[in-house]
Order: sequence, then C-alpha cells, then structure tokens
Amino acid sequence: MTANTRPAAPAGSIYDLGYRHYEGKRHGRWYAVWSLYVEGVRGVWGFGRPMTAKAAPFILAGLYSLLALIQLAFSSSISQAIATSDASATNLATYHNYFGQVSFFIVLFLVAQAPELVCRDQRYHVLPLYFTRALGRADYALARLASLVTAVFIALMVPMILLFIGDVLMKPDTLQAVGTEWPQALVSIPASLLAAVSLSAIALALASFSPRRAYAAIGLVAYFLLVEIVPAVIYRVGDHAGWTWVDKVMLLRPTNVIAAATDWFCGVRLPIMGQDAAAPPTMGADAYVLAVIASIVIFTGILLFKYRRIPA
Amino acid sequence: MMFTRSLSAIPLIVQVTLRQLLGRRRTILLVLLAAVPVLLALVFRAANSTDIPSFATGVLDAVAVTLLLPIVAVLFGTAAFGAEVEDGTILYLLAKPISRWAIVAAKFIGAVGVTALLTILSVLVAGAIVLGTGGEAGAEATRAFMVAMLVGSVCYVSVFLTLSLFTRRALLIGLVYVLVWEGALSTLLPGIANLSIRQFALGVASAFWQMPDEARLTPSTALPLAIIVVVAALALATWRLRRFELAGSGD
Amino acid sequence: MTVESSQGPVVYTTAIDPAPAAPLAAPAIELINAARWYGNVVAVNDLTFSLGVGVTGLLGPNGAGKTTLLHMLAGFLAPSAGTVHVLGRSPFSDPSVYRQIGLVPERESVYPFLSGLDYVRFNAKLQGLKNADQAARNAIHLVGLEDAMERPIGTYSKGMRQRVKVAGALVHDPQVLLLDEPFNGMDPRQRLAMMDLLTQMAASGRTILFSSHILEEVERIGNDILVMVAGRLAASGDFRAIRALMTDRPHTITIRSSDDRRLAGALMADPTIFGVDLGKDGLSVRTAHLSAFRRLIAGASRSAGVRLFEVVSGDESLESVFDYLVRR
Repeated sequence: MTANTRPAAPAGSIYDLGYRHYEGKRHGRWYAVWSLYVEGVRGVWGFGRPMTAKAAPFILAGLYSLLALIQLAFSSSISQAIATSDASATNLATYHNYFGQVSFFIVLFLVAQAPELVCRDQRYHVLPLYFTRALGRADYALARLASLVTAVFIALMVPMILLFIGDVLMKPDTLQAVGTEWPQALVSIPASLLAAVSLSAIALALASFSPRRAYAAIGLVAYFLLVEIVPAVIYRVGDHAGWTWVDKVMLLRPTNVIAAATDWFCGVRLPIMGQDAAAPPTMGADAYVLAVIASIVIFTGILLFKYRRIPA
Repeated sequence: MMFTRSLSAIPLIVQVTLRQLLGRRRTILLVLLAAVPVLLALVFRAANSTDIPSFATGVLDAVAVTLLLPIVAVLFGTAAFGAEVEDGTILYLLAKPISRWAIVAAKFIGAVGVTALLTILSVLVAGAIVLGTGGEAGAEATRAFMVAMLVGSVCYVSVFLTLSLFTRRALLIGLVYVLVWEGALSTLLPGIANLSIRQFALGVASAFWQMPDEARLTPSTALPLAIIVVVAALALATWRLRRFELAGSGD
Repeated sequence: MTVESSQGPVVYTTAIDPAPAAPLAAPAIELINAARWYGNVVAVNDLTFSLGVGVTGLLGPNGAGKTTLLHMLAGFLAPSAGTVHVLGRSPFSDPSVYRQIGLVPERESVYPFLSGLDYVRFNAKLQGLKNADQAARNAIHLVGLEDAMERPIGTYSKGMRQRVKVAGALVHDPQVLLLDEPFNGMDPRQRLAMMDLLTQMAASGRTILFSSHILEEVERIGNDILVMVAGRLAASGDFRAIRALMTDRPHTITIRSSDDRRLAGALMADPTIFGVDLGKDGLSVRTAHLSAFRRLIAGASRSAGVRLFEVVSGDESLESVFDYLVRR
C-alpha cells in the first residue's frame, strides 16, 4: 500500500497484563464435596433462592410437624385425659408411630424438593463444570444425596423435638422428666436418619432421570402413589385367596417399611401400625429392617449408576 | 375461504401434535403406567376373585381414575401447547392464515386422542381379564369406567391445554391440583367434590354402574358441569391465542 | 432464473414470479407513532416510517428493540400506542394477513422430528397452497437444501436450520418478508447465496425487512437502512445519504502524493479543512464538506505542483455511520 520504506514490523507479542497465577494452597476434593453438600442443604430449604423457593419446603415441613404442634398445644388437656385414663389417650402420636401417620407430607416434601437438587444442573448443562474440578461423579451424586438426607432429617426431627417438649411439659416435674424421657427421644434420631436415607435415596435416584423438574416431580408422585396402592391391593386380594406369601408384598411400601423399622428401633416389637389395617402381622421386624437397607442400597446404586453414565 | 382452510388444517396439525406428544421415552413410561391396572387385573384373575366391587374400588377407581387418568391427561394436556410455547415453535402455527379455534381444536383432538386411547384401553383390557370371573357385573363396571376415562380425558385435557397457554408452570399446577384439590382437600371438605374433574368423570359413569361411595355427583349434575368446563376452557384458549404475545424478547 | 453469485452462475427454478408486481397503492409496511412498552420499560418508542418494495436493513445494538419491532410487524405483539399496518391491515389478531407475510424468527427452533421437506410442505399446506409439494420443493431448491431435505431437521447444522426456516417462510410467495438475524450461523458462501436470493426477491417486487448485527451484509444488500437505538429510530434511508447528512462529524480522507508536506500546507489554507495529519502512510485530511473537498483537492494539488497517487475516503462504511448514530 505504501511506497515508503519502513523498519520491518516486529512479530506479534503477548503482553503480561498482570494476570496472577495462583500458586498457593488449594483445598482438595473433600472441601469441594463439603461445599456442594452445604449448598445442597441450603438449596433444598430454599436459602440462597428467592422467597417463592422457600414456600414449598417450609409449608410441607410445617404440615408434617402440625400434628406434633397440635399435640403440644393441647398437652394440658391431654395430660388430664391420661390422668383419667381416657381411652382416647392411646391415639397419641409418639416417637415411633408419628411417621406412619403423617408420612404423606414428608413424601410431598421429597416430591417437591428432590427435583430441585438434581434437575437444574442437568437442565442447564452445568455438570461439566462440576466434573472437571476435583469432584468425581460419585462424589457429586453422594454429596447431593447427603444434602437431601440432611434436609429431610431436619424435617423429620422437628416434630420429634416437639413431642419431646410436649412429653416433658406434661409431666409434673419437668427436670426429672427430661432425665427419664430422653433415652426414648434419643432413639428417634437413628430412626429418623434411617427414614431420611431410605426416602431420599428413592427420591433422588428417580428424580435424576429427568432434567425437567415438573416431569421428575410427576414421576415421583406416580412412583410413591403406585407403591402405596398396588401392594395394598395385591395384599387384599391375595389374603382373601389365602396366598401365604402375600405379606412379603408389603415390603415394597416405603412407608410401611420405614414405620416398622422405626418401631424396631424404638424397641416396640409390636405388629406394625399402618394407616390401613392391611399390615400383616406375620413378618418379624427384621424382615422390614432388611427391606429398608436393601432399598437404600438399590436406589443409591441406581443414583450412582445414573451419574456414572450421564454425558457431561 | 378461511373457514375451509382452517378446517383442512386441523388434520395436519393433529398429525404434528401426535408426533410431538409421543416421544419414545414418554410413551414407554406411560404405557407401563397404563399396564398397572392390567397387572392388577391379572392378580385378581389369578386369585379367582369374584369380588367385583372390590376390584372396582381397588383397581379401577384407585389406580385408573385417581392415578393413571390425571397423570396421563395432565402430561399430554400441558405438552400439547406447552412444548410449543416454550420452544417458540408456536410461531409457525400462529403465523398462518388459520383461525385460532382451528389450532386449539387440533391440539385438543390430538391430546385427547392419545389420553383417551391409553386410559380406555387400560380399563378395557383390565376389565376383560377380570370378566372371566366377574360376569355381567364385571362388564357393566368396565363399561362404566371406560366412560369415566373418556369424560375425564376430555375434561382434564381441555383444562390443562388452556392453562398451559397462560403459564409456564401448568404442569406443576396440574400436579398440585390433582394431589391437593382432588386428593387431600376433597377428603376433608366434601363440598369441593362438586368442582373436581374426577367427580365429573365418576358422576357421569355412575349412570352405567353403581359407583363406589366416594362418587358424589349424579349424572344429571356431572354431565352439564363437565360440558361447561370443557367449552369454557376451549373458548378461553381460543381467546388467548388470538391475543397471543410473545414473552418479552431480550431485544 | 439465473443468479450470478461469487461461485459463478447458479440456476434456480422457482415458484417466485420474476416479473415485477404492480406498484402498490400504499406502502407495504407503515408505522405511525408506534410504541410498545412493558411496564416501565419502553422497548419501542414512537416509531414512524413506511417501507415499500426493496430490501431494508434494520440495524441496532442489542436491546435496541429490533426483535420487538419485528414481532409487532408480524402480529405477535400489539402496539401499546400508535398504529402498525402491514399491507394496509393491522397484523395483530388478523390471521388472514399471514397469507402475504413470511416470517423468519431468530431463536425459534423448528420441529426436530420432521424432515426439511416435510416441514416446508407442512407450512405450504397450512398456507392453503394447492400444489404444496411442488412449492415446497421449489422453496427448498431456492435455499439450496435439496441434499438434506429428507433428513430430520434435528440433524441439521445451525446454518441449515436457518435456511429451512427461510424456505418455510417463502414457500407461499409472500409479499412481505420479515427476517430476524437471518444470517446467523451461516458460513460466508451460504450468506452470499441468501443475500442473492433476497435481492432477487426484492427486485421482483417484494418488501423485505431484515435485522442484522453484521454491518458488511447490510451494506451489501440493503441500500436502505433503519437504525434503532434504545427503542427510537435514529436514522432511516440510504446510508450514504445519512452519512452525508452528518455534517458535524468530519470526514476523514487519506491521500498519498508525491509531496505530502507541500500538499498539506496548501490544503490547510482552505477554511473547510479542519485538520491535516502527516503520517507514514500518507496524509490524513479532516473536513466537514466532502463535496467541497473534492473540488478543492484537484485545484490545490495542481497549484502546489504535487502529483496525487491515491485519495481514499476513510469512513464511508456503514460501520462508521452506525457507530456515530449509536453513540449520539
């Protein structure tokens, strides 16, 4: 373009704008897992999200605790009833039968919140961001599971604490009551933990199959409803027909199984109380406990398998 | 001119809608769901049960009407328009010289078609299996529940079709409606039954067979209510499409 | 029809009538004080313009309201104020007008399970075309997708998807064509083919409005532009004419001559010259009056005894026009 002679232009160079490399200490894998875990627990309860995200978990957890709250509110009249040996006192909610009565709401809690944990990451394709860090695929899946378990555990424990307070207040001498009551209450901790792990594994494993929250929620609803109704129907029919193996079918129902395992924890070796009287008394509590453990193993396995195979 | 063009456009749009609705994974899962009443019928058959009323309550009502029907209908109903609005492909339907009612009609026909087909078949097969031991009562019950499926499909699909034109969360709202309104609340407050699609379906069906106790409406109340709901929903959908505005674009 | 493209002549058979249409009584697109707001945000602010036959480019930075305007023209948004008329009718809630409008939206995906041919044929049938299949094949041929037309659209690349959208939009031979960023995702060869197509269609009497960020393309096919900035119309018309109107911004001309310094001195004497820069590559002259300069340079160089090797107008491009308008 120009006829003037010029000195030859230098070859291109890259200027150091002062970008700093980080040479310091790095937190490792466990810190990443811990961060993911904490974020998950907060996410399930709606913290770090707009107000509307808090509505579902708090309302549902509140409904789950409602029974305990009512019982606490009316504890004075209840203690009177006990004093007069009123028959209605046997319908009290206690540590071991609470879950069986109100499980509907905690299942709804899971239906609403499990998709929150696993669906968003899939939908917006951010999984590569996780997997290219120190975090492994199994770490991610287990961290999510741990978050859900913790969140559900909190929801399950709140009414237990309320029951404990109610129990203690009902007795004339509060301090002494604390001393005698707390071993009983303590047992509700592992029981609730077991329930939390079992239900969370199911919910998370199933929810992880769809990137859309609404579809995952519908799938969970379908599963939980089916798994309640179908075994009950089969049991009723089979019982009429005199099939002896039919009671094993009840092992498929999470609520029954968890309620039974809880009873076992609380040392109540009674026939299982379910919502309907279709609960078979013929199986020992150990069958139920084994069923719980089996479901935990199976569904966690499904979750891990799913996340091993997800393209990212 | 536009009327005939709109009319002839309907089968075309129905075809495309069917292909949209029947994706492979979704279809397989829903067929499996529809197989549950059939499986239970097999159990009944294997137990040589002649207890038709119990079959009706346990299987047909509890599983088919309460579970299968709403789930399938809400899924297909919201997906008929929902997917298009979300992807934006609805533009291609709207930017054509076709009356809006034709578009609504086509989507409605497509969604009702698959829903009704799946649910009615499920009840039919389940009933047929039990029929062997159930006799005449079994046939009546099956017929009645098939009617319930038809009425339910039409009502649910029309409502959720329309809802999906107003909000992106139609599926979630559908879930809440089914679980809370038709589930929990109806047991607590019987008056609500008058406004629940499930009761419309059972009510109309009770003209054919004595429904289990929880059916609260008579056919003469249920049918007109159902018709009103369907007509109102479809009219609302047409009105909405006429004034359809694309959600605020970034630019 | 034979189209000259950079690859040599390409023969298209088309359903498009190559004969020019009769001149329209009213402009094809007419907006009068059209505005659109969402709550407190005004997306389109008091727009008045009319478009006739030919290709017009719609330019503007992100958020200027281009897509909003196109949606208003396509009948998918009602104006909050003012009137929007396409072919004499308001497109909002009047589906019959779609017989004459073709729309190519920007981000909207296409049914991935249909094949290209199926999709265009679907559009043709919905438009009520009697020979839908033939029209569809023609349209596909026009955009150059015959090889891929049997494959599902889900397997197409982004450029191919754009092209199939265009095919679907012009299968019914519309009078008005609205395209939102039509060249997105197309490689240069496809872009050239598309530009040729649009030019041909405009030459046969159609009104085409397309929006784009890519200024070179608008320069190539559209002489007329509409520039939108923050919802308002910043300029309309031929962009060279707009450039000439921008008198408060000096033109920059680069000159190479046998004696730059002497020429610089001669030019500086003239009052129309703002400034002269002496650089390694030549002289850089800033002036407000391009036409006056053209008369001046000949005389100045002759009287200074300087031979001119090259005179280049620095910033005639649409880019500088656009820059100026946006920053104003």
